[in-house]
Amino acid sequence: MNTAIRIKNLRKEFGAKTAVKGLNLEVREGEIFAFLGVNGAGKTTTIRMLTGLSVPTAGDAEIMGHSITKEPDTVKILGNISPQETAVAPNLTVKENLEFIAGIYGFDRAKTAEEMIARFGFDEIRNEKVKTLSGGWQRKLSIAMALITEPKVLYLDEPTLGLDVLARRELWHVIETLHHKITIILTTHYMEEAEELSDRIAIMVRGDLICAGTMEELRRQTGKEKLEDIFVSIVEGIR
Amino acid sequence: MKSTVFAARTGKEIRRDPLSYILCLGFPIMMLLIMSIVDSSLPPEAEVTVFHIRSLAPAIAYFGLTFVMLFTAIQVSKDRTTALLLRLYASPMRAADYVVGYTLPMCVLGLAQMAACFLAAFLVSLCQGDPLSIPAMLLSYLLLIPSLFLFVGVGMLFGTAVSEKSAPGLCSIIISAVGMIGGIWMDVNTIGGIIRKTAEMLPFYHGVRLARLPLGGAMDTLPADLLCALVSGVLCYILAVTVFTARMKKDIS
Ligand SMILES: Nc1ncnc2c1ncn2[C@@H]1O[C@H](COP(=O)(O)OP(=O)(O)OP(=O)(O)O)[C@@H](O)[C@H]1O
Ligand SMILES: [Mg+2]
Repeated sequence: MNTAIRIKNLRKEFGAKTAVKGLNLEVREGEIFAFLGVNGAGKTTTIRMLTGLSVPTAGDAEIMGHSITKEPDTVKILGNISPQETAVAPNLTVKENLEFIAGIYGFDRAKTAEEMIARFGFDEIRNEKVKTLSGGWQRKLSIAMALITEPKVLYLDEPTLGLDVLARRELWHVIETLHHKITIILTTHYMEEAEELSDRIAIMVRGDLICAGTMEELRRQTGKEKLEDIFVSIVEGIR
Repeated sequence: MKSTVFAARTGKEIRRDPLSYILCLGFPIMMLLIMSIVDSSLPPEAEVTVFHIRSLAPAIAYFGLTFVMLFTAIQVSKDRTTALLLRLYASPMRAADYVVGYTLPMCVLGLAQMAACFLAAFLVSLCQGDPLSIPAMLLSYLLLIPSLFLFVGVGMLFGTAVSEKSAPGLCSIIISAVGMIGGIWMDVNTIGGIIRKTAEMLPFYHGVRLARLPLGGAMDTLPADLLCALVSGVLCYILAVTVFTARMKKDIS
C-alpha cells in the first residue's frame, strides 16, 4: 500500500516548551490511525502541523507526497480537520453550514450538501439552526463539514468527546464506512474507541512518539492483553 | 469566490441578529424623531441649529455608522473565539478573503442604515412643510462613504486586537466620543477650548461637517474636511487589514 503521510523529525516548540519532539512516522493510504496520549502529550499540536494550522519549528511531513512546509496550499486542499472543539457556525442551519464549507473549497454547494445530508441522516434537522442541536448532532455535523471537501486525509481530533454511548457508536459506524476509502488520523482518550476503529495505534508521551503498531504488535511488545493496560504500562514505564 | 461565500455567511449572521435591526435601523430613526420633536419645542431665539432636520439627518446617519463599527468588532472578535475559525484557517482561504468577507456585508449594513436614516429624515421634513432637497441628500450620502470605511476599519481593528468581551467596551468609547466631539448633539464651535481642539484633531467632527455641507453649510470647509475623511478612512482601513493579516499569520505560526 502507498504512504499517505510521511512525517520526518517533526518538531514544535512554544518558547522554552517543546510540544512535539522530532516525530517520525508513516501512515498508509486508507488506514485508520489512532494517536493516544495523556493531556498535553502533543496530539493536537501534531495534527495542527499536518493541517497547516501551525508551522513546524523543525522537520517536515509529506501528505500524499506534498510537503507541509513547502506546499501548504496544496496540503490544505488534500486534508481536512474536525477540530477538538466542535467547529460549526451556530447561527446557520445544518444545510447552510455544509454549503458554506463546500463553497469555500469551490464545490457545487447545493449538490455536495445534499449528499452529506443523505449520508449523515441530517434530513429531519436540515433547516434547524445548529446552536439548537444536541452535542451529538453538532459533532456529526462538524465531521460532515470536514468530509464535504472530499479530503484524502481526514483528521479527527477527539471526535466522540462528550458523547453518550449511543451517539458514540453511531459516530463509530460513520467512521467505519470511510475505512479504506480515505486515510484517517484519529485522536482519542477512549481506549475502546482506538481498539474498535484503528488499524494501528501510536502512543505519545510528552511530545515523544513512544511506540506505534497494530494491537497485535503492541500486545507482543508489552505482554499485556487490553489496550488500557498496554497504554498504562507504556506511559508509566517511561516516567 | 471564497470571499463572497464568507461574506454571504457574515451577512446571514447579521440578518439573524435582532440587535442589528434595533441598533442599526431602529435607533437612528428613533433619535431622528425624538430630536426633531425637541427641535420643534425649542424657541427660535435659542439659536440651536444642530437639531434642525437638515443638520440632524446627516449627523445621525454618521452616528449610525458607529454601530456598524460595533457590529464589525463583535463579529470579528466572536469569530476569533470559535473553533470555526480554526476550520477556516485550515481551508484555502487567504487573509484577503476574510477582509473582503467582513467588509462587504458591513458596508451593505452601513449603506442600508444611512438610506433608512435619510428616508426617515425626508418624511419628517415633508411633515414640517419644508422638504429636504433629494440631490443634496444623495450628495451627503456619498460623502459619508469614506467614513463608513473608517468605522468598518476601526471595528475590524478592535475585533482583531481585543477579545469578544472587551471589544464592545472599546467601541462604546468611540461611540460616546463621536456623539460628544463629532458635533452631532451640540455645536462644538460654541464650546471652544480643549474640546474644540480635540474635535479638530480627530476625523469625526470633520466627517459630520462634511456630510452636512450639501444640505446647508459653508463651502470653505469642504477641501479640508473631504481630505480628512478620505485620508482617515483609507488609513484606518489599511491599518485594520494589516493588523488582521498579521494576527492571522501569528495565529497559524
Ligand atoms: N499555542 C500554544 N502555546 C503554548 N503552548 C502550547 C500551545 N499549544 C499547545 N501548547 C502546549 O503543547 C503541549 C501539547 O499540547 P497539545 O494540545 O498538542 O496536547 P494534546 O495531546 O492534544 O492534549 P489533550 O489530550 O489535552 O488535547 C501542551 O503542554 C500545551 O500546553
Ligand atoms: Mg488535544
